[in-house]
Amino acid sequence: MTLGLANPAGALALGTVGVLIVLHLYGRRRAVPVGTLFLWQRVPAEPLDRRRFRPDLLFALQLVLLLALIAGLVRPYLEVATPAAERVRLLVVLDVSASMQAREEGGTRFELARRRARALVAQLLTGDEVMLVAAAERAHVVLAWTADHTRAQDRLEALEPLDTPTNLAAALELALGEQRARPETQVAVLTDLPPEASGVARAELAYVDWIQIGRSDDNLAITGLSVDAPPFHPVGDATATVLVRNYAHVERRVVLEARVGTETWARRELVLAPRAAEPVLLTDPPADGELTVSLAVDDALAVDNRARAELPASRPLDVLVVSATRALGAALGASVAGSRVRRVEPERLAEAEPARVVVYDRSVPPGPPRAEPALYLAPPADNPICPGVRTVDDAAVIDWDVDHPAVGGLQGLEALTLEHAVQLVTPGWGSTVVLGATARGAFPLLVAGERDGRRVACLGADLAGPLVSSDDVPFLLLLLSTLRWLEEPPGGAALLVETGVPVLAGPGAAEFHGPGLHVAGDPPVLLAERTGVYRVGARVVLANLFDDRESDIGREGGGEWPATVRPAAAGTAGTARRELGRWLYLAAAALLVLEWSAWQRRRPREVA
Amino acid sequence: MSLDLEELARLTLRVRRGMGDRPGDRRFPGRPEPAGIELEAYGAYVPGDDLRHLDWNAVARLDTLLVRRFTAERELVVHLLLDASASMAVPARDGKLAVARELALALAYVALGANDAVRIAVLSGDGATRVSPLLRQRGSLARAAALLAAVAPGGRLGLGAALETYAREHAHPGLAILVSDLMMEPAQVERGVLALRARRSEVLLLHVIGAGELDPGREFTRGVLTDVETGATHPIVLTPAARARYRELLAEHLGALAALAERSGAVYARLATDASVRAFLSVELPRLGVLGRR
Repeated sequence: MTLGLANPAGALALGTVGVLIVLHLYGRRRAVPVGTLFLWQRVPAEPLDRRRFRPDLLFALQLVLLLALIAGLVRPYLEVATPAAERVRLLVVLDVSASMQAREEGGTRFELARRRARALVAQLLTGDEVMLVAAAERAHVVLAWTADHTRAQDRLEALEPLDTPTNLAAALELALGEQRARPETQVAVLTDLPPEASGVARAELAYVDWIQIGRSDDNLAITGLSVDAPPFHPVGDATATVLVRNYAHVERRVVLEARVGTETWARRELVLAPRAAEPVLLTDPPADGELTVSLAVDDALAVDNRARAELPASRPLDVLVVSATRALGAALGASVAGSRVRRVEPERLAEAEPARVVVYDRSVPPGPPRAEPALYLAPPADNPICPGVRTVDDAAVIDWDVDHPAVGGLQGLEALTLEHAVQLVTPGWGSTVVLGATARGAFPLLVAGERDGRRVACLGADLAGPLVSSDDVPFLLLLLSTLRWLEEPPGGAALLVETGVPVLAGPGAAEFHGPGLHVAGDPPVLLAERTGVYRVGARVVLANLFDDRESDIGREGGGEWPATVRPAAAGTAGTARRELGRWLYLAAAALLVLEWSAWQRRRPREVA
Repeated sequence: MSLDLEELARLTLRVRRGMGDRPGDRRFPGRPEPAGIELEAYGAYVPGDDLRHLDWNAVARLDTLLVRRFTAERELVVHLLLDASASMAVPARDGKLAVARELALALAYVALGANDAVRIAVLSGDGATRVSPLLRQRGSLARAAALLAAVAPGGRLGLGAALETYAREHAHPGLAILVSDLMMEPAQVERGVLALRARRSEVLLLHVIGAGELDPGREFTRGVLTDVETGATHPIVLTPAARARYRELLAEHLGALAALAERSGAVYARLATDASVRAFLSVELPRLGVLGRR
C-alpha cells in the first residue's frame, strides 16, 4: 500500500496558511470600541507585539480546516494491490444514430442513454477501466481503455447524436472482440433498437447488457425527394416528387411547404392515415436553385422533416456536330425544341465557332483537341482518345452506373438494343458508365470522365438515321443525358447525398473535414454525417436523411436485457487507487461546523 | 422581542416622596391638609381655618376647638432621564439604547396609566439635555414613544453635572428614573443622585448593562480598546488573568453603584441586555417595591 498525490501542484495553496496568520496578526491590532475605559485601565495593558504569535482555539480550528481543504486539493490516494477479479472493465456502446434524436419523456433518447451511461461510469471504482464506442453508420472509438473516469464523463458529455442511419453490428463486433481478448470486460449497449435488430447472433449477445431506450412512434418524415428536369427544357417543365410518410399509429395532419431559394413554391395540407405514405407532386417551379421541402409538424424526430434537392438551371442545347452526314445533326435538332445544332465537316473543324459541346460522329480528329467538352460517337479503332477494339453486332445494354450523373435518372436503358456497336475499352481518364453485351461477352458501351480539364465521353454507337421508330428513343435519351452532363461545368451541379452513405466525390476533390461532412481517400470519398447544405470547394453538397429504419422510431416492448453470461475473473493482479480527497473535504465540512459553533459561542445572544 | 404594554396596565409606580404641587390622584399620607376626602388627623383650630371642618363632638366632649385634617392628594411627576451618550451604542450587538428606550417607554405607559405626569429628558452626549413638556394624558403615550424613538446615541456625557443641571431647572419634586449604562465613576453618579434627592425627589437608578460588558470575551479576545466618548485607547489581550481582573473590577463597580444608591436613599436595579425586559418590569421592579398592582 503506497500513498501518493494525484495533484501535487495543489500544495501551492499552502500559501494561504500565511494569509491566515497575517489576518490573525492583523486582527490583534483591530480597534474595539467600548463604552468606557475606566475599568479597563485598571487591567494591565498587554503589549501587542506583531511578531508574537498566540493562537487561540478559533485560529487553531481555522488552520486545521484550511489544511484539510488543501489536503483535499492535492488529492492524496492510497494505492493498494487488488486481485484482477475485483476490477471491472466496462465497454459502453452508445448509439448516436439519427433516431436517437427522438424526443421522449425526460429528454431525447440520446440524452436518456447518455445519462444512463454516465451513471454506469459513475458506479465504477477507482482503478476500473472504461472504453466508449459510438455507433452510427460506423463504429467510432470515442475513448480507448482508461481508468480516468472524469475524462470518460467529459467525453460522454461532449457526444452528440448524428443524422445517420444505424449499423450496430460493427460496434458490437468491436466490443465483442474486446470482450474475447479480455474476458473480464463488461459490455453495455445503449440504443433504441432491440437486440434482434443488432445484426449480431443472439448467442453472442449473452455477454452484453442491452439497454433499449425509447417507445414513441410519433413521427412524420419526408422519405424521398426527387426532381425530374428534362434536359434542355425550361425550368418550368421541371417537377418534384415528395414522399411523406406517417410512422405513427394515429392519423396525422401536416402542412408541407416547398421553397426554391427564398421563394415559396407550394404549400399543401396533408392528412395521413396511420402508417400511410403519400406522394406529393409539385409542378411549375417559380425558379431554379436550391429546393427545400419541409413539414410543419411537432413530432418526436425533427431531422427527417426537411429535405433538400436542386432544380438545375437549364440552357438550350448548343452543340457542334462534326459529321460527314446531316442525319445526326438533323435528329438532334428535331428532338430538342429551341436547340442550336450546327454541323461541320471534319476537315473544316478549325473554322467552326465554339459551342458548349462538340459531337464527333465516327471520327477523332488528329492534333490537339478543341477546348469544348466532347462526345465521340462510334469512334474508329486505334484512335488516341477512345480506344476501341472492334465493331460487334446485335448488342444490348445490360447494366449502367445509376450514380453517374451522365445517366442519372434514366430508366429503360435495358430496352436499348443496337444493331452495330463499337466495343470500347475503359480508358485511363474515365470509367465505364454503360455496359453493353453481345453473345460473346460484355464490353463498355459508354465511358466518361475528365481529360485535360474537360469532360469527355465515348459512346460505342451512333444514330444511324432519322428517328423513325420508338426503338430509337432510349438511345436518344442516353445521348441527350450524356450531352447534358458534358455541357455542365465541372462541379456545377449540386451533389445529392444521403447521410451515412459514402459516395465518390469525383476526381480532383480536395480532402475536407468539416462539421457534419468529410471528404478523404483516393479516390476521394464523401461522407455526410449531418443533413444540410455544404460547400466543398466550388461544389455544393445537399445531404438528406432518407432512411426508413431511422424514421420509423416506434418501438415495442423496450426495456433491458442483462447479460446472461458474466465475465470471468482475470488471471493477473493489479492495483486499485483509493482517493482520500472526499474524506478530507468531509472533515473540512465538519471542522467548519465546529468553527462556526465556537464563533457563535463568542457572540452575545440577541437582546430579548 | 417587543414588549406588550397592555400587560403593564394594572401596574403603578409606588412612591412615598416626591409629592407634587398640583392636586392629583396620588395620596401622600403624613402630610395632612385642611381639605381633602380622607380624614387623617385632627389639629387645633387657628383663626382662618374653615369652620366647616370643626369637629363639634370633640368641642362638646373636650371643650377644645379641633378641626379635621385630610390626607394630601397630589399629582406625581415622573422624570424619565435617558442616557443617550455614545457609550449606550457599544457593544453594538447588545443594543443597550434600544433596551433603555423600551424600558423608558414601558415606565411612561405605567405612569400615564396611573394619571401621573411624565417628563422625558434625553441626556445627550453634547451636554444639551432635551426635555419634553409634561405629558399628562394616556393619549400622550404616542408622543412619548416618538420622542424616545428619535433618540440617537452620541457624544460624551458628564452624568453628574447633567443631573445637577436638570435638578436645578426642574425643582419640583417627583420621581426621577435614570436609565443609563452607568459606565462611569460611581462618584459622578452619586453627585447627580444627591442633586435630585436635594429637590425632594425619589430616585430610581435603572442600570442597563450589555452582555458584552458582563463577558467581554464574547466581543473580542485581543485588540486596542477605544473609548467611544473620549477616544482614549488601551491595548489588551484577554488572557484568563485579564478576564478575571476585569470581572473583579466590574463586580466592585456594580457593588459601588448599589452602595451609593443605598447611601443616598435611591433604588438601584440592573438589567442585562440579554435578559427579558418584561421579566424585569413584572418581577424585579415589584420585588424592589418600585412597581405594584393598583
